[in-house]
Amino acid sequence: MTTTLAGGRAARRQTMRRIRPRRSPAVPLLLAVGAGAVGVLWLWWHNTPSIADDNGKILNAGRITGLLAGYLMALVVLQMARVPALERRVGSDRVARWHAMSGRYTLSLIVAHVFLTMWGYALQAGKSLGDIVQQTIDSINQLPDMGKAAIGTGLFVVIGLTSIGPVRRRLPYDTWYHVHLLTYAAVFLTFWHQITSGNDFAVEPTAKTFWYGLYGTVTALVVWYRILTPLRLNLRHRMHVAAVIEETPGIVSVLIGGRKLHRMGAEAGQFFRWRFLAPGMRFSSHPYSLSAAPRPDMLRITVKAIGDHSARLRELTPGTRVWAEGPYGALTAQRRSKGKVLLVAGGVGITPMRALFETLPGASGDITLLYRANTTQDLALWGELAAIAKERGARLMYAVNSPEGERPDISAENLQRKIPDIDHHDVFMCGPPGFAQSVYEALRGAGVPARRIHHESFEM
Amino acid sequence: MRKSHPIRRVVLATAATVSGVVLLLSLKPASDPAAASAAGAAPQQTAAAQEAPQGGQQGGAQDAGASAGTVTGDAAQTQYGAVQVRLTVANGKITKAEAVQAPKGGLSDQKTALAVPKLNQEAVAAQSAQIDAVSGATYTSTGYKKSLQSALDKMKASSGSSSGSSPGSSSGSSSGSGAAQARTVTGKAVQTQYGTVQVRITVSDGKITKADAVQAPKGGLSDQKTALAVPKLNQEAVAAGTANIDAVSGATYTSTGYKQSLQSALDQAGG
Repeated sequence: MTTTLAGGRAARRQTMRRIRPRRSPAVPLLLAVGAGAVGVLWLWWHNTPSIADDNGKILNAGRITGLLAGYLMALVVLQMARVPALERRVGSDRVARWHAMSGRYTLSLIVAHVFLTMWGYALQAGKSLGDIVQQTIDSINQLPDMGKAAIGTGLFVVIGLTSIGPVRRRLPYDTWYHVHLLTYAAVFLTFWHQITSGNDFAVEPTAKTFWYGLYGTVTALVVWYRILTPLRLNLRHRMHVAAVIEETPGIVSVLIGGRKLHRMGAEAGQFFRWRFLAPGMRFSSHPYSLSAAPRPDMLRITVKAIGDHSARLRELTPGTRVWAEGPYGALTAQRRSKGKVLLVAGGVGITPMRALFETLPGASGDITLLYRANTTQDLALWGELAAIAKERGARLMYAVNSPEGERPDISAENLQRKIPDIDHHDVFMCGPPGFAQSVYEALRGAGVPARRIHHESFEM
Repeated sequence: MRKSHPIRRVVLATAATVSGVVLLLSLKPASDPAAASAAGAAPQQTAAAQEAPQGGQQGGAQDAGASAGTVTGDAAQTQYGAVQVRLTVANGKITKAEAVQAPKGGLSDQKTALAVPKLNQEAVAAQSAQIDAVSGATYTSTGYKKSLQSALDKMKASSGSSSGSSPGSSSGSSSGSGAAQARTVTGKAVQTQYGTVQVRITVSDGKITKADAVQAPKGGLSDQKTALAVPKLNQEAVAAGTANIDAVSGATYTSTGYKQSLQSALDQAGG
């Protein structure tokens, strides 16, 4: 008895040693961004001895908004450079939301900058606000690089318009994506007027150097992580479709073979952006999570046929070349703290949970998986989940609709009844937005702290 | 997973940005304390760049001893327009160089505004046509050097060994008369919100043959504005012969100060 207890403690200690929580670098990153913004404002402050009148105020408001927009634009692009620290530590979903938010904000600053500057120029020329259009045309004709800047600003507006919720939902994904790629052109076009017409850069060579440094760094990161890194990854691992397996009606698994796949550094809970080099699928890439821990010769994704692209997956023939970018995502074991873990999956959200269920460090009884689906037939991968549960001594629960179609009640009380020490769990969650929201509220009601609920959502 | 409140976020971001910008703008003084104290030092710099040690500073005393003459070079055609240089010569030295013609319109306005003041400075400093081209304005620079060379040739031909006791004005483009006694009158220094403006005019036969600013706002934005506005104001002053000249858009304060100082110079010139 004592030996088993000691053995149990030793095993637990060993398990706990394998858990290495890492903090998300989000807070220091946001502080650095804020410090940069303060620096940019200081540049304006330092170069502006005085503001004589209302006209000067309008022009200087235009300068401030322009400087901030130029600074933030570089960061908006940086957020989409697929820098590992952002994708894997902060989390792709969170960075994508930052990107959307800061993109909207930056576009607003650009519009304000153009409006205020042209208004100020018009007033200075003894004209009124009504002449702002003529003033804009004059400025485009007379000032250096302003034609380019005008085209770039037009592109930004188009990109912004196609990204408004209702418009974006109506556009095919590929159209939206390719319009969005014009951002690079727009940033390039608007960069030069900042240097040639921006007073702060004309006056302060240091500021100009810094600006070149900022944009140069972002360009280098984009080229490195969006072009060179995927190129190297795919040349090295040479992935192809090995098999397509129908798990349940409407859910398929795609097995992907390749060379030394364990060397990609993918962890359970992460995803890749996949591009299948088959007719009609070549030009779009989609994020799908790994549904099993990566093996040296095999990766697996499991996908529900919802859209055009996911429906086509079942028609893939073995041997089709695969182009993948990743691994991305921060919903991994390093998110957790040193306690028990509850995994909650809604529908096809089982994929990353399935991989975590297999690999999360934990002693017998530490890991629980709650799987929600419409019917028992929809519980994809159930067989292997049961096998893992048995092998690891983990708990496996499911919640499906009653035969009358009634939805199961996942409430704080029910959760507490099923898992009495739920408030000592880390919770990993993946599922449709409505499901995730209601489970989140139930978990909070059951006493789980917000910082221990780990969730990835690609809803903007 | 915390509830997001998009409207609240938009309102907060807008309010924070607007109030931040308004706060920054309102913290800036209406006039520059540093510029006022630096105004005493600034004119020397400006003057050294463009001006001869003659006259000026005492405020309009007629300069009888060293009278200045002007020589205008031939107009040199460039791809963007004609360049023509006029030199002010005193005691056989170039005390000032200026372009009476330079490319205009579109981009050229800016290039001219950037290049011509530099070329003028270089010409005075070098005392020859061996000056560096201004990068980004190669054609204008080349034309300038040609016209400068021709002005230098004329200067040598006409004044030769003249020691400066006689007014060596040959072919002043607007004064015309070889016998005209040119004199300079400097207007009072006028304070503007961005710095001091002081105008000096050369008067010949009761007409303004030349106008220039011995002091103008400097530093930061002002450098650019001065470079843009002062050459235009100079031209306008010569063309109008009075202080009724148009303000240069984008440099209203400088223009107003310029006009006041010009008026005071005209008053002193008695014309």
